[in-house]
Amino acid sequence: MNEPIVLTIDGREIAVPAGSGLLEACAAAGARVPTLCHLEGISSNASCGICVVEVEGARALVRACVTAAQAGMRVQTASERVMRARRAIVELLLANHPADCLLCVRNGSCELQAIAETLGPRKRRFSPTRPQGYADATSPGIVRDPAKCILCGRCVAVCRETQTVAAIHFAGRGARTRVASFMDRGLAESPCVQCGQCSVVCPTGAITERDDTQAVSAALADPSLFVVVQTAPAIRASLGEALGLEPGALVTGRMIAALRRLGFDRVFDTQFAADLTIMEEGSELLERLEHGGALPMITSCSPGWINFIETFYPALLPHLSSCKSPQQMFGAIAKTYYADKAGIAPESMRVVSIMPCTAKKGEAARLGMNSACTWWRDKGHTSPGYPDVDWALTTRELARMIRAAGIDMAALPEEDFDDPLGLSTGAATIFGTTGGVMEAALRTVCERLNGAPLPTLEFTPLRGVTGIKEALVAAGGRELQVAVAHTLGNARILLESIARGDSPYAFIEVMSCPGGCVGGGGQPFRQRETHRGDPGLEARKRALYREDERLGIRKSHENKAVAALYDEFLGTPLGTLSHKLLHTNYAPREGGSGS
Amino acid sequence: MPSTAKVQGEIPSLEDLIERHRDKPGGLLAILEAAQEAERLRYLSEDSLRHIARRMGIPLAELYSVATFYSFFNLKPQGLHTIVVCRGTACHTRGSRELLDAALSLLGIAEFREDEETSATTADGFASIRTVACFGQCALAPVVMIDGAIKSRMTVGKLASAIERLRKGGVA
Repeated sequence: MNEPIVLTIDGREIAVPAGSGLLEACAAAGARVPTLCHLEGISSNASCGICVVEVEGARALVRACVTAAQAGMRVQTASERVMRARRAIVELLLANHPADCLLCVRNGSCELQAIAETLGPRKRRFSPTRPQGYADATSPGIVRDPAKCILCGRCVAVCRETQTVAAIHFAGRGARTRVASFMDRGLAESPCVQCGQCSVVCPTGAITERDDTQAVSAALADPSLFVVVQTAPAIRASLGEALGLEPGALVTGRMIAALRRLGFDRVFDTQFAADLTIMEEGSELLERLEHGGALPMITSCSPGWINFIETFYPALLPHLSSCKSPQQMFGAIAKTYYADKAGIAPESMRVVSIMPCTAKKGEAARLGMNSACTWWRDKGHTSPGYPDVDWALTTRELARMIRAAGIDMAALPEEDFDDPLGLSTGAATIFGTTGGVMEAALRTVCERLNGAPLPTLEFTPLRGVTGIKEALVAAGGRELQVAVAHTLGNARILLESIARGDSPYAFIEVMSCPGGCVGGGGQPFRQRETHRGDPGLEARKRALYREDERLGIRKSHENKAVAALYDEFLGTPLGTLSHKLLHTNYAPREGGSGS
Repeated sequence: MPSTAKVQGEIPSLEDLIERHRDKPGGLLAILEAAQEAERLRYLSEDSLRHIARRMGIPLAELYSVATFYSFFNLKPQGLHTIVVCRGTACHTRGSRELLDAALSLLGIAEFREDEETSATTADGFASIRTVACFGQCALAPVVMIDGAIKSRMTVGKLASAIERLRKGGVA
């Protein structure tokens, strides 16, 4: 049924599947047609106009991103007429774009800059026509600077279509057109969940993460502070990409070495806390299955997801696991158990986390995320308050720090995490990809329920890229029906079903971002030039599964450092101390509408 | 014509409109229009936008997008009277810029940036000034609309008298 069609692109005949877009067809013919607004998999609004090509017989140039490839079409992708039009479009975009590339965080990764460089207008012909607007720094995770916005609409599309949050939209018209939240207020007053997908797709520096690198550098330079760092699972599979290595390069050992060279006193692993999360969350699931509690239980590791359910589905909050995310568990344990054990004053300890995520910044600042301080005060300590996690940096921010310090990743040795909060299992590694938390939990929960080790540790139905995956798992003489969703649009579908009362699942994993944390809002910008799917995300995911297989210990309950933590300090999962340090609660959040 | 001239019951209530138009494409415009007319100061207040968004199941940012796209909708309270100066080509060549400046100065509005705002209102809420791209009355240029009535071949003098009549509580 999908008979290929043949068309001629730049004088070369090419066969593509029927139904292909012209942009893909051009890519297949080896012609890289540039675009600043098109996004694979999301409807394009053809706003930028850079992708114009010449189609024989057509009166005007056509935009390749919204044109279907047709049999017999004769297309020119780089004729003089096409190039003249593209150059004029870039000139018009530059008229309203500040010329401060040297001071911009996207210098070197800006798609507009790259197109301006290749198409080559070399002076400004047009003066600005648009009011500049005000930068919005109200959100803990995301900063918007409308002056740099080229109105491509990618952020509006991902926010609305992928995430179904719709915190921002085009407002006004003509020269007054802008991307705005309701009443042009800051993101902090909008339903924005800080997932940061807008910052990943923004072609320019108009949407970025809040930059905390200077605060972290200052802490590293202060000899009175003991600065520890934790790295999320997904970082080891994506940091290399931000530093010029191929997508999917696994850089665990070199990442640790780079962090030591930046001056961190201890390099620990969020994966330690991911194993800890499985111990708590797995026990919580068993508890709910055996003694009652809201089912399905839903994972709580992804802070964008937490913001989402608090905003749009507050009535379903009892379904969330009460477990803090691994980032926050880590902070609470580092400043209590570890500080105590290592003899470090908790108030002079700083915890920095490296996260694939912009929402982690907001999570660290959440009310109640200062359990360590409360614990020490209960023991009679007096000191000004301090958070469990002081700063969360994105993968991109860490890459900038490494580049700024002149650290050559390729020349670094492979080093190991510090003990004891650096020990982890393969189960924790796969937390970084969609389906990974579920798989990690099942490895522990099924073994507990069955009373015997699992024949195989790979839950393949959970490993695909489908938006919602499900599996039926035999455990302890019963069948557990589980589901995994990535992107908030898919999470919404599962929530609607819970709200209707027809959700068949016992346990659901939700990650906010496409592909899970490997596709997080704080991850390196991806190569878009080819329009051939997204090899970057797939490669990052495969890297994590490779790491899981490589590790000798692949089940969270076999993590010896976690076992020692329970023996020496916490007691048992879901015990009193666990509840104080590792669990939290949720509250309805302002900003939602219509639900 | 000021909205107070409309008799209650002549227009369906906002709730009726929402019920009637909820699932129709374009229905939102009728609803927003009704909401604006129902407001004494002829604007879409934040409260009414929030109410409509909730009832229609539309994200606030999307509703704001629609409300800010059409210059017909006001996001700020409007004056008791409305003066619309045509800024089309014919009116422009026959002096509409002077008319706009005169209207602003007669009403005591310090600044109105045509390219950035759709309307400006006097501090005391007496009148709002707006511009329009064309009324389609080019033969009668320059044209000004005062409280819904088209005034043709307008001059600064005629405009001043009209505003004076409004101040005395009369009709322009």
